[in-house]
Amino acid sequence: MPPPRMYRAEALVLKNMPLSEADLLVTLFSRDAGKLRAVAKGARRSTAKLVGHLEPLTLTRLALSRGRTLDVISQAETLHNFTPLKSSLTAISRGLQVAELVDGFGSEASPNEPLYDLARSTLESIGESPEDELPLLHFQLHLLGVSGLMPELLNCVECRGDIEPDRHRYSADGGGVYCPDCTPDQAALRPLSLRALKVLRLLARSDAATLPSLTLDDTLTQELRAILTGTLQYWLDREIRTNSFLNQLARADRA
Amino acid sequence: MTLEHLPSAAPSLARLVQELNKLPGIGPKSAQRLAYFIIRLPDEEAFDLANAINAVKQSIMFCGQCQNLTDSSPCSVCANSQRNREQICVVEEPLDVLALERTHCYRGLYHVLHGVLSPLNGVGPDQIKLRELFARLSDEEVKEVVIATNPTLEGEATAMYISRNLAGANIKVTHLARGLPVGGSLEYTDEVTLSRAFQGRQALE
Repeated sequence: MPPPRMYRAEALVLKNMPLSEADLLVTLFSRDAGKLRAVAKGARRSTAKLVGHLEPLTLTRLALSRGRTLDVISQAETLHNFTPLKSSLTAISRGLQVAELVDGFGSEASPNEPLYDLARSTLESIGESPEDELPLLHFQLHLLGVSGLMPELLNCVECRGDIEPDRHRYSADGGGVYCPDCTPDQAALRPLSLRALKVLRLLARSDAATLPSLTLDDTLTQELRAILTGTLQYWLDREIRTNSFLNQLARADRA
Repeated sequence: MTLEHLPSAAPSLARLVQELNKLPGIGPKSAQRLAYFIIRLPDEEAFDLANAINAVKQSIMFCGQCQNLTDSSPCSVCANSQRNREQICVVEEPLDVLALERTHCYRGLYHVLHGVLSPLNGVGPDQIKLRELFARLSDEEVKEVVIATNPTLEGEATAMYISRNLAGANIKVTHLARGLPVGGSLEYTDEVTLSRAFQGRQALE
């Protein structure tokens, strides 16, 4: 029996782009079906009823009908608008990085409920503390986890020995931390400070809703950022586009 | 679409179809229909079309002040001494200037950004005309910047970026009201628009 022509979905809007005269091509990540791309007909007209519900970083309940190439959105209702997040430029930019990464790691027709829940709780956390980078760092680490790519942080990837306080190295392509005695031929190693390793371990066992209260200095934040974005970019096999704008904002804040 | 797709057409016709096919919203079939329409046009009208394209590509430039598209710099709005030079309305695209001019309710100057900040698409402050805006604001006697970017997430982010960079500059920064479109329906309006409309309610006089 063919699937029903009409269906419903609860989804996070990741991005949208103009299509033909007045339509909108919307990329969504739904709880039940993974990544979706659908058309909202006439949504760019000023009297359109759909467009307000289809802004990026909005959680919506949708009614869709299956099309030959793209599904068509017939109804949309906002479930959660993440209003606090949208009142800060830094928080919006971090939220857009969450959307970019969900788009990059999510697959079409492949549900990933933990990723959906992680994205939602991260957007809430970013809204609650717009100036804090920890929710984004937590998201980046756990995104690797829910995608089956969590880096090894407790044992040496090579010899499986316990990682003790020492001068460790980290490798994105090697899959985690190397002890000082192991030097693999292929993996691109970078130094990993003990402080950064401790924060990564703490983030790995924390929940987005109950993030620890940590104050990270600039050096530590930059190290964590470099490790996590480096790992994400390795798996994505491309640059994270939102990074350059986030870096610009961080530089402006420091100046 | 390549020339091989029209094996029986004359090479010049196939080339025209190929060029028309590059236009936004024009698929291969529409390109063919337009090409045959152009062939059937009287010579004079077809050459007028070709000359108009030629002229616009040769004469259009950015206005040195507002960055709008113009055939003389400064453009007619910037050169008009009747306009209020203390107000600058910041818009995303040249078409937004036309839309605002049609309202006949704004008599200040404009600044066209030619885009919005779009971190997802790698568009940062250096890719749009923001540097020109800030340079202009430091040179001219501007008292108010009216931000008229679209009420989208990227438009709002651009508005916040401008406002953040003008903090402490002794310039009033405002943005257009958000609310219900004329002819719209309350029942189908999203809650963000409705709450903005509520916040921006005005006394009936």
